Amino acid sequence: MKNKIILSVLVLFFTFCFIVLYKGLNNSNIYVPETKIEKTLIKFNSTDLYSGNKISSDQIFIGSEYYVLNIWASWCIPCRAEHSKLIKLSENKSIKLIGLNYRDNPKNAKKFINEFGDPYFMIIKDNQGMISVDLGAIGVPETFIINKDKKIIKRFLGSLTEKSLNEINLITK
Amino acid sequence: MLAHQIGYYSLILGFFFSILIIPVSIKNFNNKNKVIDNKVFSISFFQFFFVLVSFSGLILSFVNSDFGNETVFNNSHTTKPLFYKISGTWGNHEGSLLLWLLVLTLFIFIFLIKSNSQPKKYRILTLLFQQVIIIGFFLFLLKTSNPFNYFFPVPKEGLGLNPILQDPALAIHPPILYLGYVGSSIIFSASLAAVVAKHISIVWAKHIKLWIFVSWIFLTFGIMLGSIWAYYELGWGGFWFWDPVENVSLMPWFCLTALLHCILVLEKRSILSSWTIILSIATFMLSMSGTFLVRSGILNSVHTFANDPERGIFILIFLFILILLSLVIFFVFHKENDQKIVKINWLSKEASILFNNWFLMYFLSVVLIGTVYPIFLEVLSSKKISVGPPFYYKLMIPFLIPFLFFMSIGPNLNWIKSEFKKIKIQIVLSFAVSLLISFIILNQIGFVGLINSILILVTFYLFFITIKDFFLKKYKNYSQIFSHFGFSLLILSILFNSILSSEKTINLKVGEEFSFRDETVIFESIESVKNKNYKSIVGNFKIKDKKNNFLQLKPELRIYNQPVIITSEADIKTTLYYDKFLVMNLVKDYEYFNVRYQVKPFMIWIWIATVILVIGGFLSLFQRPYEK
Amino acid sequence: MYGKKVKLRILFLFLLLASLILIVYLILKSLEENVVYFISPSEIKKLTEINSDKIRIGGMVKNKSIIIKSNKINFIITDFKSEINVSYSGSVPNLFAEGKGVVAEGYLKDKNYFNAVKILAKHDENYMPPEIKEALGGE
Repeated sequence: MKNKIILSVLVLFFTFCFIVLYKGLNNSNIYVPETKIEKTLIKFNSTDLYSGNKISSDQIFIGSEYYVLNIWASWCIPCRAEHSKLIKLSENKSIKLIGLNYRDNPKNAKKFINEFGDPYFMIIKDNQGMISVDLGAIGVPETFIINKDKKIIKRFLGSLTEKSLNEINLITK
Repeated sequence: MLAHQIGYYSLILGFFFSILIIPVSIKNFNNKNKVIDNKVFSISFFQFFFVLVSFSGLILSFVNSDFGNETVFNNSHTTKPLFYKISGTWGNHEGSLLLWLLVLTLFIFIFLIKSNSQPKKYRILTLLFQQVIIIGFFLFLLKTSNPFNYFFPVPKEGLGLNPILQDPALAIHPPILYLGYVGSSIIFSASLAAVVAKHISIVWAKHIKLWIFVSWIFLTFGIMLGSIWAYYELGWGGFWFWDPVENVSLMPWFCLTALLHCILVLEKRSILSSWTIILSIATFMLSMSGTFLVRSGILNSVHTFANDPERGIFILIFLFILILLSLVIFFVFHKENDQKIVKINWLSKEASILFNNWFLMYFLSVVLIGTVYPIFLEVLSSKKISVGPPFYYKLMIPFLIPFLFFMSIGPNLNWIKSEFKKIKIQIVLSFAVSLLISFIILNQIGFVGLINSILILVTFYLFFITIKDFFLKKYKNYSQIFSHFGFSLLILSILFNSILSSEKTINLKVGEEFSFRDETVIFESIESVKNKNYKSIVGNFKIKDKKNNFLQLKPELRIYNQPVIITSEADIKTTLYYDKFLVMNLVKDYEYFNVRYQVKPFMIWIWIATVILVIGGFLSLFQRPYEK
Repeated sequence: MYGKKVKLRILFLFLLLASLILIVYLILKSLEENVVYFISPSEIKKLTEINSDKIRIGGMVKNKSIIIKSNKINFIITDFKSEINVSYSGSVPNLFAEGKGVVAEGYLKDKNYFNAVKILAKHDENYMPPEIKEALGGE
């Protein structure tokens, strides 16, 4: 009898611990922020990966209805996984797909593009990672949809999925 | 590529064998044979063999820099030295789990062949419980963290070049620690099996003692290596930060140390059996929770590993299945011998061991609460907090005093009962000596607070008592004397190290100097050296003491290019009396350098003392049965 | 009346209970005294009173905000909504730089000024401490 009481108390206690820890684990996902939407893009300057020409954000975001800005790097594994999706996305003619090469070695970046194909309209460099920080990015890869008023209307954290592709196509239709 | 394939398929084969063991051993359990079937041995051997092949396959993939393998791609690089390529195998999540599995299967195989003298039922039950753990790890590995993911196209270069992880101490630290953790899994399975088979006896205690000591040795040594790494590589000049990841290895250590002493009581007097079982279960559960806390990313720590909630959920569920399993088994099967209620005399060896067990449990709960409380609070109230070192100091230091006292007295008491009058004059004399010594020392360094002073006194007491025992005691238990002596030395060096350490941090330009106590530190120049994959900036510092002796220190800054990581290599001048520790850091541009200079007395003695502690544990393996 | 043995037993149980309660009380009390809360710059702006507890602040080191003197480093931590001035004398970690994540531990002087006693490092280039992520992302 006494044993049973102790046993059930202990089981209850551990179940409580389990629930708390389980919740705690799910909490670590809360770190995905859904903010910075509808925020006007800050102005920045960068250089083109291939030509090395200086270019400002005003020159980049011009002449299209929608822009998709994709932050990537050759050292980032999820970016590899994502790349085929980007190639698919490049078939969407109503957007300008811009690659922001985050903290990368230009040689490696070019090799990466040679290996996997180039979906981008233009690739600009973010050597210091400052542009990404200014955009409020928290990791690589990350993708922003920007409208012609230079407002961020949607953002995707991590690799693009089939679902997010559809969403992008829907928004930019 | 070939190595990768072999590795992957032998892992699956190994999994197949680990499932196969279960029906075969259950069949063997039920038949009338007195001995274990040879089949069980061979399947268990194959299980180990295939995991070994799989692990070697992964090592080979690392050596060959096969970047098609995702684990290799993430954690290796062609320019890495061979030694670090190999150690990279277990320096990451997937590889380290494979190592866990390797050691698990190795240990159960060793257990099977080494436990001839034990009854068959007990051995097979141990095997079955261990198989539950092994299968759990297999599933975890194959489902959430397969080290053999291949992807195309194969990249030409890997990413894994975290230079801070390229350190010899860190390369061997995880395997050693795992040997300790996994050893505790054998203790766990064996004690559950002993409960079910009603085999808790002096014979069992003698046999399981060996496993406890071996795990304890590895665990202690592993913790020490981790701490050495933190001291030499992290460049913060400390060796223990009360960081959750460190605490997590300390908790099973407390538990295992308590168990280590408890099993001696069981062996000698066949009492405390329930307590022994509880400790055995708790030790392994704490090792597992450690894995959970570190690997799931639920903790915020300076050493946090990959953060993947799916993994965390798997370990969490697995952990709680094991907890429930052991609870049920313990309460259903365990019956304390009611006939002989043994009284424990207050003045006996077992009583002092029991007291110290309680203190160890107290230290354990302090560390446990300090580590877990932030997680619970965040979930329950979404407040984010961290618990700092003062919490641990405040709660642990005062209780170290009685702990050390019992540690000194205990070994000089008899089993069962000691007469108060017969307590030897030497024990009192040692106390007088330590009183005198600590008085002299405190006079030299000034008053350090009441609790610290008493702590110094009792530590010296333990110190002198063990020395006395070494020379004068009739029946010498060298293992106990060495490890207790090592422990007193450890506490002494930590105490004086923390009391007498001094440091200064300053921002300096090249050519400037600053004075610190009676020394002058001159920042003479910097030079830049180009290396294969990093650029290093070496600072030339001269330290002039009041007798005009010069000491040259050259701390280094390394700027790695891909990915860009800056590390500081502290320059440490070690002598028997003190360490001089100088580290510099870039703040902005190349104008100012953030320079930190520390003088840390008796640093090396912390490592020496831990080694003596481990040697003590080691000696017990060769010692004839315990003194009377 | 009760026998001597029973009395002894009750006394023992009582002592055990008392020491247990004492220990729990001790632990809880020290926890209360020694925990450090984590706050973002925006949350500081919302505080109604400044107390003297030790806290941690996380965010990014603002661009071009680091000013070094021989005994002091001043910089600004931002979470892109609010900023706070930090003054610090002590050793800085390797990855301390403008535009990088940082966690500073110390005491608030007022809503705009923070005295740091420790700056915490994370040693991975691609790693951003979860606190910072949350501070930067949380509304």
